[in-house]
Amino acid sequence: MIPLEAVLAVSAALFCIGLYGVLARRNAVLVLMSIELMLNAVNVNLIAFTAYLAPARNIGQIIAIFVITVAAAEAGLALAIILRLYRNRGTVNVDEVDLMKW
Amino acid sequence: MTPLQLLFYVVSVIMLAAAVGVVVARSVIYSAVFLLVALLAAAGLFVVLFAPFLAIVQVLLYGGAVIIVLFFAVMLTRRPDDPQKLDNPQWPLAVVAAVLVFGAFASILLGARWVTKAPGPAPDLAALGDSLFTQWAVPFEIASLLLLVALMGAIIIARPGEKEE
Amino acid sequence: MVSAATFSSPLGMSWAWFAPMLCLAAFVVLAFFNRYLPGRGAWLAILAIAGGFVLFFPVTADYLRTGQAGQFSTPWFAVNGKDVSLGFVVDPLSIIMLGVVTTVALAVQVYSLGYMKGDPRFGWYFAVQSLFAAAMLGLLLADNYLLLYVSWELVGLCSYLLIGFWYEKRSAAEAAKKAFITTRIGDVGLLLGILVLYKATGTFEMHALFEAIENGAIAPATLTAAAILIFLGAMGKSAQFPLQVWLPDAMEGPTPVSALIHAATMVAAGVYLVARSFPLFAAAPGALTVVAVVGLITVLIGSTMAIVMTDVKRVIAYSTVSKLGFMMLTLGFGGLTAAMFFLMTHAFFKALLFLGAGSVIHGTGGKQDVKDMGGLARKMPLTATVFIIASLALVGIPPLSGFWSKDEAMVALAGNPLIHILAYLSIFLTGVYIGRLCLLVFFGTPRDQHVHEHAHEAPLSMAAPMLGLAFLSIVAGFVALDAFGPALGVAPRFTGIGSFLYDDHPEPYAFHIGIAALSTLSALAGLAVAWAVYGARLVSPEAVTRRLRFLYDLSVNKYHMDTLYQALINRVILVVAGVVAVFDRAVVNDVGINGPGRATVSTGVTMRFHETGKLYNYGLAMTIGALLLIAAVVILV
Repeated sequence: MIPLEAVLAVSAALFCIGLYGVLARRNAVLVLMSIELMLNAVNVNLIAFTAYLAPARNIGQIIAIFVITVAAAEAGLALAIILRLYRNRGTVNVDEVDLMKW
Repeated sequence: MTPLQLLFYVVSVIMLAAAVGVVVARSVIYSAVFLLVALLAAAGLFVVLFAPFLAIVQVLLYGGAVIIVLFFAVMLTRRPDDPQKLDNPQWPLAVVAAVLVFGAFASILLGARWVTKAPGPAPDLAALGDSLFTQWAVPFEIASLLLLVALMGAIIIARPGEKEE
Repeated sequence: MVSAATFSSPLGMSWAWFAPMLCLAAFVVLAFFNRYLPGRGAWLAILAIAGGFVLFFPVTADYLRTGQAGQFSTPWFAVNGKDVSLGFVVDPLSIIMLGVVTTVALAVQVYSLGYMKGDPRFGWYFAVQSLFAAAMLGLLLADNYLLLYVSWELVGLCSYLLIGFWYEKRSAAEAAKKAFITTRIGDVGLLLGILVLYKATGTFEMHALFEAIENGAIAPATLTAAAILIFLGAMGKSAQFPLQVWLPDAMEGPTPVSALIHAATMVAAGVYLVARSFPLFAAAPGALTVVAVVGLITVLIGSTMAIVMTDVKRVIAYSTVSKLGFMMLTLGFGGLTAAMFFLMTHAFFKALLFLGAGSVIHGTGGKQDVKDMGGLARKMPLTATVFIIASLALVGIPPLSGFWSKDEAMVALAGNPLIHILAYLSIFLTGVYIGRLCLLVFFGTPRDQHVHEHAHEAPLSMAAPMLGLAFLSIVAGFVALDAFGPALGVAPRFTGIGSFLYDDHPEPYAFHIGIAALSTLSALAGLAVAWAVYGARLVSPEAVTRRLRFLYDLSVNKYHMDTLYQALINRVILVVAGVVAVFDRAVVNDVGINGPGRATVSTGVTMRFHETGKLYNYGLAMTIGALLLIAAVVILV
């Protein structure tokens, strides 16, 4: 029997690794990858909750399905934006895109 | 240790290691590959947690579609002077922030009293589909609408303008 | 005391308030609509004041019939549970003033039709004239000090507006400012005095105040303080020393204004105030002495300065100063009847003097200095005649009105030998300066041929009021005689003026042949000296000036008072003002008002650096924010 806390700790760790990636990576595509990691951590959490807390229902899995859907849509859009950004600015490095600077 | 537990630990380690690889790799392609590994490991984790359907969906969607699109993006946005440094100036702060967040989560989840039941068998796939189309019909339709909008949006944003090409 | 409901009798005393109200209504209409009315609405103003003049007769008749003063009031507002009322009182004092003010105002407004003809602001002139009449009438009818003070200030405002009527001229604007500021000093005293009395008794109402004073409810020190403060107000308005400096400069206004405001009515308001407050002054130890001393000084400096002035209006102005001092002196000696009687006759002939001077100015095309005049009697006989009548009345030649009033005053002053002699001196000086003026303007060889050739007599609108006032200057004195009452048919209750207006008890007319003769002789002596120097040229004016060099310099320089005041302003007031200005600029403005603004801007300037434009910085900020929120929830919940 795997304790619930262990699973949750794993997903928390995954989330934080993803967070680090979002905050620390320079290439926009890498940031997107890190966001996918965070979303996956959320999914793991949801599955774990539905397995341990309410096994009769499958609510967590359904929500996880939706999360995956949204993540896929968002990834597609984000990549479209990145392509447009690359075309306009010639770069996808997030620290070179600072027009809103003071 | 039961086989399930062993499987869990192995898959978890792979997933976390791959995730670390995503965020510290020296090349974008390496990060993409590590992401693929992490996502597949997550699928394995779903299997351990009695959600086989989700595991398959994960593999198909993420591994099949999202990763492909990511690879395309990487290819289309490479610059001649690659490789360069891939980290922000603020990466130490990011480490601190991530550690703090983990600490917050850990303290919360360890401090809570979970009313757990034994993780049971996988739910019936038919029941899953059934509830998806009855109880969750509205979110389902909205999700499809969302996908449509995302599709249109992506086309509009990424299409070449009149001046180009 | 009759406290009757309004309109109880047909056109009785209760209608007295109508007089100021008519003029106030005329002001409102004229101020806004004068350009739409035919003739710019001057006739409306004259109609209003004529209404007041007409009202004088039934009001007086009603009083003579009942022999009792009437007081009418209505509640005005309440503060902290204390009521303040609005009301008017009809008693001998206010009746005399009512008659004087309406008569002179009517004469002056008719005169202004001719004098101010063609002025671009003709309508506004009559509007302010009406407002002045309303305020002045309100002042003298008021039965409580608060209403009196409000009217007092309004009168001052009208004076300012009318002195500075031709404000395009720099000197006129300056003179208006000077008048207002100088009288302001007095007005502050008046307000403080009223407040002292209010604090002591809890009411503004004169009747109640005087009762309280009679019952000894107020401490003597308070009484004296209040009296002196109120007298300060009178000093300002009546141009007593040392606040007389504004009156000669006020001659910058149109001459009818000088006649009305600065000879007959507004400047008399100070005398009226002291007379009205006479119970207060009589009960306050030392107050009347102060009044007398100030009056004496004013008499002397006024008459000495009148002798050396070359501007026609200024001579008459200083004469006014001197005569006002004389009235105050008389009041200081307790001569309430004499002072008010003198005020009445003085109003008539002084206004006439001014109107005559105005006629001369009008006739010579704007000349005011005697060096441009001379021999005008041939070209302007009517003006010359009335002017000489007024001059003789001023100096007190029997049987003109001035003789009777001056005589009564001299009787009151007989108590103190020194003052009495100085009074004779002042009469002598009066003769000198007014004789000088008449001779220089109307007789002798013309000094400016061009002016003399084009001089013309006054038109009817100006001549008629002058004639009316001349008539009054001749006959108004007869009210003093004990035979006056029976002639009117109101005997035996009223005989002469002494039985009409009095302090403690009615006084029969006292005729001292010695005093009368001496005063007439002094007057004639003064006239003779004037004739000797300026008429027959027995002594040349220059020789006299040389002999009395010191006195001449003092008088011509107005006793250096203007220089003194200006130095005071420059060295003290402007310095304090500078300090206050620096405080206002540096502390209030720069720190208090600009401070928060500049702080905001500088905060923004320094804080803008946190907008780096880089997404990962924002992401970090969001993370930290989320952490803080979690911490807050965990700690607080």
